[in-house]
Amino acid sequence: MTEHRIGTQQEWKAERDALLDEEKELTRRSDELARKRRELPWVPVGKDYRFETERGSKSLAELFDGRSQLLVYHFMFGPGYTAGCPVCSSITDTLAPQVVHLKARDTTLLLSSRAPLEKLLAYRDRMGWPIDWVSSGGSDFNRDLGFLNTKEELKPFLDGEIPPVVEQMANATGTDVAGYVSEGPGLSAYTLEDGTVYRTYVTTARGLEPAMAYYALLDRTSRGRHEEGELEHWLRRHDEYGAS
Amino acid sequence: MPAHALGTREQWLSARKQLLAAEKEHARRRDELARWRRELPWVPIEKEYMFATSDGTKTLVELFDGRSQLLVYHFMFGFGYRVDEQNPGCTGCSFVADHFDGVIPHLNGHGVTLVSESIAPLEQLQAYATRMGWEFPWVSSLGSDFRYDFGAAFTEEQQKNGAEYNFKRVHQVEPQREGMSAFVLQDGVIHHTYSTYARGVEQLMGTFGYLDAAPFGRNEDPRNPGAWWHRHDEYETEEAVRR
Repeated sequence: MTEHRIGTQQEWKAERDALLDEEKELTRRSDELARKRRELPWVPVGKDYRFETERGSKSLAELFDGRSQLLVYHFMFGPGYTAGCPVCSSITDTLAPQVVHLKARDTTLLLSSRAPLEKLLAYRDRMGWPIDWVSSGGSDFNRDLGFLNTKEELKPFLDGEIPPVVEQMANATGTDVAGYVSEGPGLSAYTLEDGTVYRTYVTTARGLEPAMAYYALLDRTSRGRHEEGELEHWLRRHDEYGAS
Repeated sequence: MPAHALGTREQWLSARKQLLAAEKEHARRRDELARWRRELPWVPIEKEYMFATSDGTKTLVELFDGRSQLLVYHFMFGFGYRVDEQNPGCTGCSFVADHFDGVIPHLNGHGVTLVSESIAPLEQLQAYATRMGWEFPWVSSLGSDFRYDFGAAFTEEQQKNGAEYNFKRVHQVEPQREGMSAFVLQDGVIHHTYSTYARGVEQLMGTFGYLDAAPFGRNEDPRNPGAWWHRHDEYETEEAVRR
């Protein structure tokens, strides 16, 4: 039998109206935060980072590919991984179709990881993503942004109790916990003006949630994300879900 | 020198940390509203709705496809933004729908079916989906009250006399609007749990999340924010063609 509260259309409407006011407030607040992001000071990127790409070695300025804005998704795929992080993979499932729309906004979106380019491209073939992917393995790019952790930095985490989800993800990437968490996920934003690259924005952790379109959808279903307290994360690579 | 304020790494970091606190508060508020959505009363649906699908005629229960939760996107077709005979799918809805194929394996893997619905003959939807390269389930609600009952289509009489859209009385309603409705199936009974419209749909799209992180944001003309939207095969750039 249903445990959830059942109501009439009128009862539902009254509560939906109240929720709508709050949703609108939240949307306006999103707009406000977006404005604050744009107001952050720009920081010139002084270092000459190099990236391995399908079209040879490139600088950060060259990654803009003729546009004025660059968004880099820092995909967790370290040199020791045999496959990309499943969560980053689920994010990329929803990123790839956006590339063309973002280009129309003078914005280049690409993936960057530390694994060698051939490994990245082989995995991209498997997943069928039409998105550019570059290797930053030969530079300090990830380290400087805080998306590469040293053994010493990780020691407190590794000495503590490892959440089962982290072990699950480490297994899924063919590495161990220490190897898996040495890489971090993130998004960084840049603008190019008069030949100078400026870093404008960096985010990680739940700041990446707007890139996880399935969460926004799940947040509108009757059961929501439905993952709290679960020892195993429900996420898989898109070709790994069993027939369900 | 750019007209924008420049800073040192330290100045940026201190401003970024302040913003982070506001972003975290915002994320927590988002969680709170998601919880509130789940607490809305469920409304049992007694009416029988039929849809034309690529696997024949189906009921609303059958659209759940064996899962317990169903999301239906109300896709504007034959009417909408930059629609003509050659381009029958609304440009805005096409932009929303570009996000569907990527999320569907994850939603299905988590007990949720996502379907799009339009008031148009199924063959027309299929032809447009083929052009766009979409694989998500798209059903025809032509001849059914479904879309009207869930507030995303309006009869001629409503267009003349006004109707409710996005939970507000609107004097001049258009024949179709965008929206999404959520349903749950329990003990053989379908319940309507949630519907969202207008900017509520924006939350389903990843692209705006990215633009909101980009240096110039959405960078839209305030008088016509959607002016830059195109169907993904219509952007007139060399790169769009390259893909």
